[in-house]
Amino acid sequence: MTTMSPATPDENATIARMQGINKWYGGFHALRDIELHVASGERVVICGPSGSGKSTLVRTVNLLEPFQQGRLQVCGVDVGPDEITRAARRAINRRVGMVFQQFNLFPHMTVLQNLTVGPVWGGGGARGAVHELANHYLERVGLVDQAHKFPAQLSGGQQQRVAIARALCTRPELILFDEPTASLDPEMVNEVLQTMESLAGEGMTMMVVTHEMEFARRVADRVIFMDQGQLIEIAAPDDFFDRPQSPRLKTFLGQVLTH
Amino acid sequence: MTTHFARQTLIDPRPAPVAAIASPIRWRRALFPTPAMGVLSLLLLVLFALFGWRFFEWAVLHAHWFGNSSEACPGDVGACWAFVTARWKPWLVGNYPSDQLWRAWTCFATFALFWTWVVRRSRTASLQRVLLGFIVLPAAFFLLLIGGGPLPVVSPSLSGGLLLTLVVTLATFATALPLGLCLALGRRSRLPLVRWLSGVFVEGMRAVPLLAVLFIAATLLPMFLPYGLALDLFWRAVVAFALFNAAMAAEVFRGGLQSVGRGQIEAATTVGLSDFATLRLIVLPQAVTAVVPALVNIMIAVIKETTLLSVIGVSDLLGAVENGAKSPAWIGESNILISGYVFLAAVYLTVCYGLSRYSRRLEARR
Repeated sequence: MTTMSPATPDENATIARMQGINKWYGGFHALRDIELHVASGERVVICGPSGSGKSTLVRTVNLLEPFQQGRLQVCGVDVGPDEITRAARRAINRRVGMVFQQFNLFPHMTVLQNLTVGPVWGGGGARGAVHELANHYLERVGLVDQAHKFPAQLSGGQQQRVAIARALCTRPELILFDEPTASLDPEMVNEVLQTMESLAGEGMTMMVVTHEMEFARRVADRVIFMDQGQLIEIAAPDDFFDRPQSPRLKTFLGQVLTH
Repeated sequence: MTTHFARQTLIDPRPAPVAAIASPIRWRRALFPTPAMGVLSLLLLVLFALFGWRFFEWAVLHAHWFGNSSEACPGDVGACWAFVTARWKPWLVGNYPSDQLWRAWTCFATFALFWTWVVRRSRTASLQRVLLGFIVLPAAFFLLLIGGGPLPVVSPSLSGGLLLTLVVTLATFATALPLGLCLALGRRSRLPLVRWLSGVFVEGMRAVPLLAVLFIAATLLPMFLPYGLALDLFWRAVVAFALFNAAMAAEVFRGGLQSVGRGQIEAATTVGLSDFATLRLIVLPQAVTAVVPALVNIMIAVIKETTLLSVIGVSDLLGAVENGAKSPAWIGESNILISGYVFLAAVYLTVCYGLSRYSRRLEARR
């Protein structure tokens, strides 16, 4: 990036930057000319109709999905389409956490083991220190008394809070949320959103794909609307919800917000 | 009139009503629900009684129980259990030296105890127990039976009968499972050559009958071995069993590996685990526990397949029984050999039925 204009102080704090990212699934053009940068401490919420590429976008950030064109810089790791190696993926994943729609907890491990397995075996952390850290984060999400249960013994909301604690336990610089409340029963959505909101309050950098518009309005610094693999509109929440400019977003908000 | 209903007091849970129908009536309804079904039930009962009685007559009423030669069993209307009672010991342990027999009995007893213990396993420790049962235990038995160190060495060709079946089964398992796992992983490898070779081996083995593999191992294998390295027939048979069942196990493991969702691997990646750590800590524990019932089924199959050993001249239980019937003292009536076969079937039934019940319980637990 040295060839471009000198970095402003703001750019120094960039956690993730996508430049001209293009991705195809076979012949399907899933991400089109994505230009995006996320600053340290920023909360970005991404919304859009299903199939618009929101999930693909966040999954590209930690290289769960490869891309075919453009450049990706995440937490100091800089990769192009031909440099997506296992080493690059690991380097990024050591610094970026992720929370999935389906929780993806490890069913054969206790809650505590779910939290510690990454830092101990992947990050080379000392077992004692990692345990302490894990207990700290379990307390943080209010589940310290469930530490020795198995995921199947918890409710959906509790499982997703464990998943959040697991992501935190790797001490990430950025956490990606891929529709974290979409597979929860309605009465459990709020406990997860509250956990995420308090994380945001502590200055964690977050990229969140969600349909929870109230959450976006309360928490986001910027809201992004995606459609057909493109970034259609990016704005602060007030502008985004009250003064949408593109007709596509106006229609979308009209459908989502009328209750 | 109002349609608004609001419950004032909650209903406490009550126990379900106990079945009020008397058991004779329940039996009648189960066996004779309609006239046609009733006829079918009756027919089956009659058949069962008829054959059951005939077998009972042959096996108990007209049976000859004791004696040292075929003279104890005149005629062939009844079973000749004398043949079994006189010769069961070599059938169970072969020519294993009699002063070392405690080693064989220890193995039988440990084997039985282990499976009863493992049935009452807890969910969490299952992987360790599986490894113990399928790899460590067989290896330990093997050392105990063959000997070495402070124990005098007993050539495996001296064991025969059921002991040989046990030794071959365990040796097969201790080698076929690791090999099968490697093959299953090989088929998922990123390297095309590894993937291709594993695939060819597995598909090839699965397409050839075990008997053919055994003959090839017994006759052809010595030609491929380096000069001076001669394996005796027993080991050649074990190699054939191990390779054949590795292919079977590979398919089972492949199913297990596929049952672990993509999300699990993605989650492991995002918490910073390397590919190897993901495999070892996340994928394998789930894949292996998922296929334990299928592995037990392979074990049952191996136990039954060991009877093929008698065809290539290794004296397993079947071979021992047949050899017994050829010995001078027992040449004579056909019921002698038949009684031996029935005893053989009973032994296999006990072992395999026990294992299959165990496998069922594992399946039901999930």
